[in-house]
Amino acid sequence: MVVPSRLRTPNPHLGAYYGIVTAAFVSLIVVLAMFEQLGWGESLLAQTMMLVPLALFLLIAIGARTTQATDFFASGRRVPAVYNGFVLAAVAVGGVGFLAYIGTLYFLGFDALAIGLGWTFGIFAAGVLFVPYLRKAGSYTVPSFLGHRFRSRSLRMAASAMQLAPTALLLVAELKIAALIAAFFLPVSFSLGVLLIAALIAAFAILGGMRSLTWTGSAEFLVGAVGLAVVVTTIAILLSNAPAPQLTYGAMFPALQNAEITAGITPLNPGEIAAALPGTAPSPAAKPFLQSFGILGSFDFATLFLCLALGTAALPSLLVRSGVTSSLPEQRRSSAWALLFVAAFVITAPAMAVFAKLIIFRDLALAPSSALPGWLAELSANKLLQTGDANGDGTIGAAELFIGRDGVTLALPSAAGLPYVLTVLMGTAALAVALAAAAAHLFTLGASLAEDLYRVLDRHETLPRIVAAWAAIAATALAAVVFLMIADLDPLKTALLAFAFAGATFFPTLLLAIWWPRCTKWGALAALGAGFAMMLIEVLFGGALGLGLTGLTIPLASLIGAVVALGAGVGVSLYISAPSKMVDDYREVMRDPGGDTIYDRAQMRAAATAAATAAAAEAGP
Amino acid sequence: MATKVPVSDPARDRHQLQTLILAITILSMVLLAVFFAVMFAAWLNQFGFLHFPLGFYLLAQGLLIFIVAAGFWFIRVQERIDLARSESEGLG
Repeated sequence: MVVPSRLRTPNPHLGAYYGIVTAAFVSLIVVLAMFEQLGWGESLLAQTMMLVPLALFLLIAIGARTTQATDFFASGRRVPAVYNGFVLAAVAVGGVGFLAYIGTLYFLGFDALAIGLGWTFGIFAAGVLFVPYLRKAGSYTVPSFLGHRFRSRSLRMAASAMQLAPTALLLVAELKIAALIAAFFLPVSFSLGVLLIAALIAAFAILGGMRSLTWTGSAEFLVGAVGLAVVVTTIAILLSNAPAPQLTYGAMFPALQNAEITAGITPLNPGEIAAALPGTAPSPAAKPFLQSFGILGSFDFATLFLCLALGTAALPSLLVRSGVTSSLPEQRRSSAWALLFVAAFVITAPAMAVFAKLIIFRDLALAPSSALPGWLAELSANKLLQTGDANGDGTIGAAELFIGRDGVTLALPSAAGLPYVLTVLMGTAALAVALAAAAAHLFTLGASLAEDLYRVLDRHETLPRIVAAWAAIAATALAAVVFLMIADLDPLKTALLAFAFAGATFFPTLLLAIWWPRCTKWGALAALGAGFAMMLIEVLFGGALGLGLTGLTIPLASLIGAVVALGAGVGVSLYISAPSKMVDDYREVMRDPGGDTIYDRAQMRAAATAAATAAAAEAGP
Repeated sequence: MATKVPVSDPARDRHQLQTLILAITILSMVLLAVFFAVMFAAWLNQFGFLHFPLGFYLLAQGLLIFIVAAGFWFIRVQERIDLARSESEGLG
């Protein structure tokens, strides 16, 4: 008998299990810290710190394996709100947020705050505008929701095809970040790292689909949160004697400003630096941390914020998790938990950037180039920093200190003089979060290809449902590996492009589909197509119709695309005849917070009809 | 869709209107706060708060705390609106 999702109860021992996982990880950190003092080498420390959690994640995925469709695509609809919040937060932040956002804060300071603010507002907007209604619909993917909402196979397939852009871009960005960390700490090349990481996340997704992603993702979130908290709190205690970095880094601004002035960093004007966002190649920090709108003007700040907000709110990899909890109120609460966790990270990230910049510039400003601090040699040996007295003035200035954007977070523990185990801990935390995000993007893409393209095109269902999803996930992982072997991409800019695509295509379409009763299938198709076309024009020709001010045109193009898509959706819906009674009824039931999940009820009805037909056939003439 | 949906239902219409008003209110409130903070950030930076320049503090922490509080407040109000609908439908 099929049990309605609201009556399904989660495992009552989940708290104990994840308490054990967290305690085991903390114990591992303590034990390795002791072993480092006893003389363990860096290589052995790094391998143990990284491989033990990876083995644990794999074990959890094996334990959560399933071949049941509800478990595979919706985690059995019994995930408690907090755990779904864990995974949503890990996917929203990802390895790109963990390394590239903190690095961008180091370079841009104040101006980079738009990124974190955009993510947080996006999660909030998704919780208000989309998540409760997607939960009531209960479709396994966002394209299938649109297909069910408008009773349209063509819309479902079109949405699946357009979902490729944001999810595939985020998948390769996260995969690259994870592979870079693996190549940095483990004895593997970047190419082998990509292959191994892709195989690992494909195993997570294939073994138990959404179910294993939920439980591995929760563990990955905890590893990421513990790793970040331990390192940043330790540095805060060293610098301010208080274990609250978020509250104390403000008091360090005068010292930071002095160090920046001594190192030769002077205020900038928007447009002075050609590239608004820092790239992956090591470069010098040129802007004072606190200067407002020095590289991005207030207009670019606002467009970047809005682009990331719309993109996060409509990101298919986040919205696909809208059906995993037991009820609609529980799903709303999970969005609020995710919001809290993302906000906690976003509030902490500037503290990390300030600590890194203060330590690096304070030490360099005091030291002559002939007697540089020991940590600098260590970081130079690890290729996280490059420096040299290029102008021969006997000191190292800001313009002579080159640091990689994605290496700032990993360089911080060493620069603060902390044991190597904390550098590896930071790497492990970033790797764990990147794995959670990459696996979520891989599953979203693979599940949609199988459910919304293959199953719609192949009416005879030659391959069973789960087998089709396995094949699609494996093929997607392979394609991502091949792409990363060939292409060299910047994870931050790739992720920004992905959010821009999601904001321009899915945000207006979902807004109309959920909130506007008059929206029709053709209107939704027009909205999807118009937003996608605008982004395609930006990617192919660039320039955001000539309106971009400081070279950061993708966010502006995304916002223009979202407005054009909204207009196209409204115009086409009004031009073509009103939605049918059936489409209207679906919308009304979707907007009703009571009752069972629409998709599950349809499945139960189909199963009952099949059973009745079979019984009638058995009774025979 | 096998479920029969009535053409006119006062409880449903009231619920949908209240939900729409709540969504518009809460989103516009947060958006206005963000744009106010962005527009006046440079001016606000002359004031201090917890050792932070105020404009920086609002964008780095203050607005985020406000968004989280708004998120939990939204759940509370929306659940009350949903409960009112289910109660009136139960009575009906």
